[in-house]
Amino acid sequence: MIGPQPGFDRDDLAGVMAYDATPLLITEPDLTRYIDPMRGRRMARVARTGLGCGLNALERAGVERPEAIIVGTGLGCVESTDRVFASVLLRDEEMPSPSAFIQSTHNNVAGQLALAVKCVGYNFTYLHRGLSFTSALLDAWLQVGREGARNVLAGGLEVITDEYFLTQRHTGIWKQGPVHNLSVLASTSPGALCGEGAAFFVLDSAPRSADSVRIVDVDIAWRGTADGIVPHVRAFIHRNGLVPGDIDLVVLGPNGDAVQDRAYDPVRALFPQATVSAFKPLCGEYYAANAFGLWLCRSAMVTGGLPPEVVMQGPARGEFRRVLLYDHYQLKDHSLVLLER
Amino acid sequence: MSKDAVHITGMGMVSALGTGVAANLDALLAERTGIGPITRLATRHRGALPAAEVKLTDDELGALAAPASTQGWTRTALLGLVAVREALAQAGIDARGERTGLISATTAGGIDKSEGIYARFFDDDPPEEVRQYIGTHDPGEHTERIARELGMRGLITTISTACSSSANAIMTGARLVRAGLLDTAIVGGADALCRFTLNGFNSLMILDPRPCRPFDRDRAGLNLGEAGAYLVLESATSARRRGAAPLATVAGWANTNEAFHATASAPDGEGARTAMDRAITSAGLRPQDIDHVNAHGTGTLNNDASEGIALRRLFGENVPSFTSTKTFTGHTLGAAGAVEAVLSVLAIRHSAHFGTLRFGTPIAETPLIPVTRSSTGKAVTRVLSNSFGFGGNNTSLVITAA
Repeated sequence: MIGPQPGFDRDDLAGVMAYDATPLLITEPDLTRYIDPMRGRRMARVARTGLGCGLNALERAGVERPEAIIVGTGLGCVESTDRVFASVLLRDEEMPSPSAFIQSTHNNVAGQLALAVKCVGYNFTYLHRGLSFTSALLDAWLQVGREGARNVLAGGLEVITDEYFLTQRHTGIWKQGPVHNLSVLASTSPGALCGEGAAFFVLDSAPRSADSVRIVDVDIAWRGTADGIVPHVRAFIHRNGLVPGDIDLVVLGPNGDAVQDRAYDPVRALFPQATVSAFKPLCGEYYAANAFGLWLCRSAMVTGGLPPEVVMQGPARGEFRRVLLYDHYQLKDHSLVLLER
Repeated sequence: MSKDAVHITGMGMVSALGTGVAANLDALLAERTGIGPITRLATRHRGALPAAEVKLTDDELGALAAPASTQGWTRTALLGLVAVREALAQAGIDARGERTGLISATTAGGIDKSEGIYARFFDDDPPEEVRQYIGTHDPGEHTERIARELGMRGLITTISTACSSSANAIMTGARLVRAGLLDTAIVGGADALCRFTLNGFNSLMILDPRPCRPFDRDRAGLNLGEAGAYLVLESATSARRRGAAPLATVAGWANTNEAFHATASAPDGEGARTAMDRAITSAGLRPQDIDHVNAHGTGTLNNDASEGIALRRLFGENVPSFTSTKTFTGHTLGAAGAVEAVLSVLAIRHSAHFGTLRFGTPIAETPLIPVTRSSTGKAVTRVLSNSFGFGGNNTSLVITAA
């Protein structure tokens, strides 16, 4: 996990950072173990982040070369896209730098990871907004769970640029001006706290250690709105032979947008007995934020604790055996993941 | 057919050859290429670089696609909607059930619109005609827009892996249907020609200033095209239940990565060979069971040499008939895999072979001669369709008679 919080190469956060800023930016860890510094300096930030995070995930899992590499990102490399735009559009079709064009191709990070570990297997990149990482996860889960793959690297990442944040300011999706992340869920204004980050996972057909958690089910539900989401969540739990009372921990994705966050209330109300936690005050909102959400779920299951700063209900420590992650992006992209110890 | 089979029950396409699958078939059989001088895109490369443009303005596409409101529709999204509507109409399904998913692919996404007005996104108070496109340049946008237009709910997603994108969308849809997560999957891709892509490819020096000549010794690169192409994939059980006649079957698939170089394919064709071999095996077939190959065949020095070597290594002395339909459609990038899957189904259903236009002299290293003239009358039953992309992303699909 690489993000605005310190937690790289760990099972949990090393601490909780408070910010008065927007967007919430990645604190880049030392990646020299994975990427030669001279090469790293020439890479776009998203490529460096994805490569470093992915290689770290493989190292932690003790997997040298996975059978497949799947990445989910909503924007890909917007930094390189902007460079090509500048040549082509602002300088009257001046020939762009070939390397900027290549880095702007959306599957560049997945390709870089494959090159780094010489993985000649399946290599996909999903770019579908709030469902980007969920798509990558569903694909990996299908491969390992039903199609006989032994191990698959799946990750979600998003890295934004100042330009992108600037151009999107008219959409109203994000709050403008400095935002205090740890109290953003008490906000009464629309717009989310914008963030960025990466989280990569190795899905394995057999648990490798006591620190493994099982991904039981993954669901993608796109809707135009959040209507009907409560029955959908119930049905998701039910199809796995469970009832809401069986869930120990529910991790939800409110992001500080006072209007859109209300959609989480009726879902939360299904679980009066569970610990309920948010995650976006730590990482901000971005298309692949639910990858960090999944990281936090695993962290809670494996270490028995959550940062109290984001717990909304129930104890921050406990034996979290069955965990539900529910996230929506802009009320349209709904993702559900069920985990079990 | 086992009840696990993934059938194709509908297809739709709009390309430089025309609107609708039938119009495309006519052009292919009449050997009428869609490649020519650029007339629509406002670019300094007019007159210097040919392309395969869809011969419709954005307004005309809008009228054809007829979304409820044309506000905020990029050319890519319109190309997609036109083709999706045709596929759904042929399949006779309504996309609104939760057991129907949409997996679409693109490389440029909505850049065709944002590139014209990008500088104005920074304005303090952009007018509505600019504002409507601010959120449209990411790849997922066109998919979401089409899903909303069709009243869909459930599983939708977008893939972007350069030239293999929509072949990968087909593969994902087939896997989801086979796994029972969906009964029907609308799969395919759309990509509009834009200055971003044209100049980007030009910077790589792989564009031919003349109409392309795949598999020819004197080939000099590719021509870009634009298109929207979609198929409706359906489980055999679902098709049988509603009495839908399958057009063909997606029998096998495979995706591999070269891990060789950021843009070039390994010259020994290993990545391509592996993808083809695994796809054939996944279909429960052997190489000798394939009777036709729709090659990736872009016309670049690198691709055609390594793809030729891969064909030789996989099929030995018995390389089946093969062709590059990019000599008709140009390289439609995110739509290419789906375009060529549609054309593979047409080849099967009409016992048709489409010519690799402008072919003259074989490549010295692997003297292979593609189909050069379009014709009908010789059966085609099992087609291998290749889409080999940038960053070495290789996908092969096996499409067979139903």
